Amino acid sequence: MSSFTKSAQQWASFARSWFLIDARMQPPGKIATMCSVRLQGKHKPIYHALSDCGDHVVIMNTRHIAFSGNKWEQKVYSSHTGFPGGFKQVTAAQLHHKDPTAIIKLAVYGMLPRNLHRRTMMQRLHLFPDDVLPDDVLQNLTEELPQPRAVPRKLSEYTQEERDAFPMLWTPPEDYRMK
Amino acid sequence: MTSRGTPSRFLQSVLQNGVGRYVCQLKRISLIFSKKAQSSLGVREYIEEGVVDFAKKNPGTVVYVSPQSCRIPKIVAEYLNGNVREEIVTAKPSREVAALVQKLSEQSGLDIIRIRKPFHTSSPSVQGQWHPFTNRPPSIGPIKPQDSQAQ
Amino acid sequence: MVFLTLSCWIRSRGPDRYWRVQEVLKNARHFRGRKNRCFSLAVRAVRRAFVYATKARKAKRHHMRQLWISRIAAASREHGMKYPALIHNLVKTDVQVNRRILSDLAITEPRSFLSLAALAKARREEGFRAALGDGKEPAGVFSRIVQSH
Repeated sequence: MSSFTKSAQQWASFARSWFLIDARMQPPGKIATMCSVRLQGKHKPIYHALSDCGDHVVIMNTRHIAFSGNKWEQKVYSSHTGFPGGFKQVTAAQLHHKDPTAIIKLAVYGMLPRNLHRRTMMQRLHLFPDDVLPDDVLQNLTEELPQPRAVPRKLSEYTQEERDAFPMLWTPPEDYRMK
Repeated sequence: MTSRGTPSRFLQSVLQNGVGRYVCQLKRISLIFSKKAQSSLGVREYIEEGVVDFAKKNPGTVVYVSPQSCRIPKIVAEYLNGNVREEIVTAKPSREVAALVQKLSEQSGLDIIRIRKPFHTSSPSVQGQWHPFTNRPPSIGPIKPQDSQAQ
Repeated sequence: MVFLTLSCWIRSRGPDRYWRVQEVLKNARHFRGRKNRCFSLAVRAVRRAFVYATKARKAKRHHMRQLWISRIAAASREHGMKYPALIHNLVKTDVQVNRRILSDLAITEPRSFLSLAALAKARREEGFRAALGDGKEPAGVFSRIVQSH
């Protein structure tokens, strides 16, 4: 603490943390806001835009993100190659099928400030489509962030007792055909 | 005046805010004047009247009186931190020269330029500066992604 | 800055224009390119620089306040509060510490900032405690002014 030497104090204050976020069944925008704050270092009281105090963020399970509404079909990612007729448009589902990390990457990239530090901050973002992380990343992790949205349970994940205990809204007639 | 175009420094204190004993920061002062020139009249008067008293009052300061054939009399003050200040005393009466010498002997020798912040402390933090683990409970063991799935 | 001492020794100090040019160039010596030596380029750049400097003296206050606020917001989120809640409740509890000092406290004296955040949190939950609690003060926090006499 205050018995630190000056250089040790400096190393301690500006140490980089590694955060882990599990993106399973999470909206990409909410994941991206958490990331952009931490990549910029805006969660630290020592924040300054020029002092390069951003942290590393590891996101796993990006293959299993969840969009609300009809966004998988309706949301369109556009780009232009620069050549005539090079205007490309793909829906979120097509993009996700091609590269399971691209949607989160684009969302975070869009939320970072538009300056020369943006590429540096993006280098501190580590995206993994599944829950398999390499060992050198695993060793660095310091904290796991809570998921922004509670993951809904499927019907198959409920036990039979819980299903029986669920209140019936109406009593089906005798000749009602269950699917 | 732009802030980048002008020299600046941070606030310093030579005498430790008066905690220790007073040390006169003026190491050496030399009065360079001419014996004949009109412009050195005031300096010559000061040397006749006041310079011996000044030297007696300030035993920590070496006073040189050097007559040279020069038009422009000047006072060269050298300080303990190595700074040298030259003051030109052309055609100044002895009263002003005495005031100038007195002022030079009381100065700390630091550059007189814009000071960036009006405050300074050598011990900025009593409780220990913030670091990423100040307000975070220390995690037990390494963090694994499998932990989250088990919960 | 430029040859002032030397010029005093010279009997004829040269044409007046030279010295007027030097006065401008003095402010442009740290510029990049030919602006730091060619008068016609330097005079515009110096004028622009002075305009920027004048504006920046005002803008600096806004920028510093923004920086303090983002720092306080980061520190208060560590203690589970948002920035508006912290400031609002500190004002209500009559804590007259400005944002500059609050951000300094958050960096250099984190324990003091922690106690201020605890105070604000207690003030925030005062209504709930009055309605739902058992009428006790939270342990270790005074959220009101204590009159000593």
